[in-house]
Amino acid sequence: MAIVNRAEGRAYLTPLVGFLLFFLGFPAAVNLIYSISTVSFETLRRPSLSGFGNYAAVLADREFWGAVSFSMRFGVLTALAECLIGLFLAVFLTPLLAKRSYLMAPLMLPLMVAPAMIGLMYRLVLHEFAGPVPYYLFEWFGDSPAFLDVNNAFRTLLVVEILQWTPFAFLLFYMAYAAIPLEVREAASLDGASALKALWWIELPLMLPTLVIAFFIRFIDGFRVFDNVYALTGSGAGGSTTSLSIYIYQAFFKGGAIGKAVAASVVLFLASLAVLYGLNWITGRGRR
Amino acid sequence: MLNLLRWLVFSIAVLAMNFPVIVTVITSFKSARELSFNPGFWIGEPTLENYTRVLGETDRFNIYGYLINSTVASLIGTGLAIALAFPAAYAIARSEAGKRTLLPLIINLRAVPLIIFAIPLYMMYQWLGLLDTQLGLGLILTIVNTPLALVILVNAISDVPSELDEAAKMDGASSWQVMLKIIRPVVRPALVTTFIFGFITAWNEFLFGLMLTTSRAVPMTVGASFFFAASGGGVQWGTASAVMVLGALPPALLGLLMYRQISASLTAGAVKG
Repeated sequence: MAIVNRAEGRAYLTPLVGFLLFFLGFPAAVNLIYSISTVSFETLRRPSLSGFGNYAAVLADREFWGAVSFSMRFGVLTALAECLIGLFLAVFLTPLLAKRSYLMAPLMLPLMVAPAMIGLMYRLVLHEFAGPVPYYLFEWFGDSPAFLDVNNAFRTLLVVEILQWTPFAFLLFYMAYAAIPLEVREAASLDGASALKALWWIELPLMLPTLVIAFFIRFIDGFRVFDNVYALTGSGAGGSTTSLSIYIYQAFFKGGAIGKAVAASVVLFLASLAVLYGLNWITGRGRR
Repeated sequence: MLNLLRWLVFSIAVLAMNFPVIVTVITSFKSARELSFNPGFWIGEPTLENYTRVLGETDRFNIYGYLINSTVASLIGTGLAIALAFPAAYAIARSEAGKRTLLPLIINLRAVPLIIFAIPLYMMYQWLGLLDTQLGLGLILTIVNTPLALVILVNAISDVPSELDEAAKMDGASSWQVMLKIIRPVVRPALVTTFIFGFITAWNEFLFGLMLTTSRAVPMTVGASFFFAASGGGVQWGTASAVMVLGALPPALLGLLMYRQISASLTAGAVKG
């Protein structure tokens, strides 16, 4: 017998669905309407429909494509580095961590600190007078790069993001690695496989689904990055660190270009849907 | 030998990943005088003066306001997310309702860049009078927390044998009573994890705090950034560091206390999906 019948099930779902419809459905509809309207802060309540001009303006905007490029490069590079380092740490450190689970705590600490806070902290760390990194570089090498100028800001942000989020990838891989059945490992070693061979031919293939999922989660989070970039550079450095999220934020708050900001939001939404469907397709979840 | 290498790699990883936190903690214990000539790791004369200033000079620093706003908004955002997600999770785990479309839809919400809702939400809040209120911020944090809350609770309830429900129904309990009196106590660990994890997420949220608050309801993450808005004399690194430590402490402490449960739920959300 069904423990919860259909009518009851719907009743239990209603509050959540209603809440989400109100707080996300309504804004989504407003987005769509505004994106095809001429609208300013004065005419918020009576936007006049005007076709796809906002989309055309966004797609013709070089800054928009600069932001797309930043977000793509940022998402791919950070996800790749986080997964590679995380995988290495998970495999290499497992013998150390398996018996001493308390060692996990300091590895996970970065995940508990707000990305915005991490961004602010790096303003101190990298500051040319107050920061220890430039201080010691000057002390030891007589010179220190300007970490946040046009040439270096992108690389600096990559390192900041990778250092904060590698623990996430590490954690997923550590769990997946631990979940590989003991018999599989024993069988491999009985057959004379070296540790490296077993890793490459047996353990990595078993961990592949986790690898794919971790990469996509980190890619999506990197792609939509806002907090630490905004806190660290405020998209400064000659606009070289404007992610898509920051582009939308600035178009709205600083430029007052509501139509453009909203059109960019819709484009971003469609792009993330495409990525999500891709992910579901790859992991086979969509077919379930 | 290999083990020594492992310890070395572990130490480097921990130091590198926590580097900004370590530097900030050190800086927060330096006097203003020492800061001006010593940006290094060593502290000559450790002092609490930054903390006493930040916590004592309430007319200059609104730190209690930020902490209270973050706490209240996070409590609303976490409590409401659980209140909405728990019955939904029960329905999804124990009936066909919502399994096919609603669950995947909400899980995917975790991956949608929330900035795309931020602009209409800003306008909506203006009309509803929710701009710059703790309640308004809390309602948005509810949305941020809902996907993971639902995943954790659906997984937890699915793991409870349904014979338990059936037995209680035989005894004449309604499904509402089963949910509250039988299931809720059994999945209490999952509820606690959801709460802690949601609280950390909510506390650390920045974008909506930045957009939807200006003065009265400013949360800690946004308030800390005010200390960097250099006015004339530049950033006071000592007090700014003390503020960052105070702002990062609550989620960090919660996380360190609960890291086992949290790592399990992180992977539950990611892998089982």
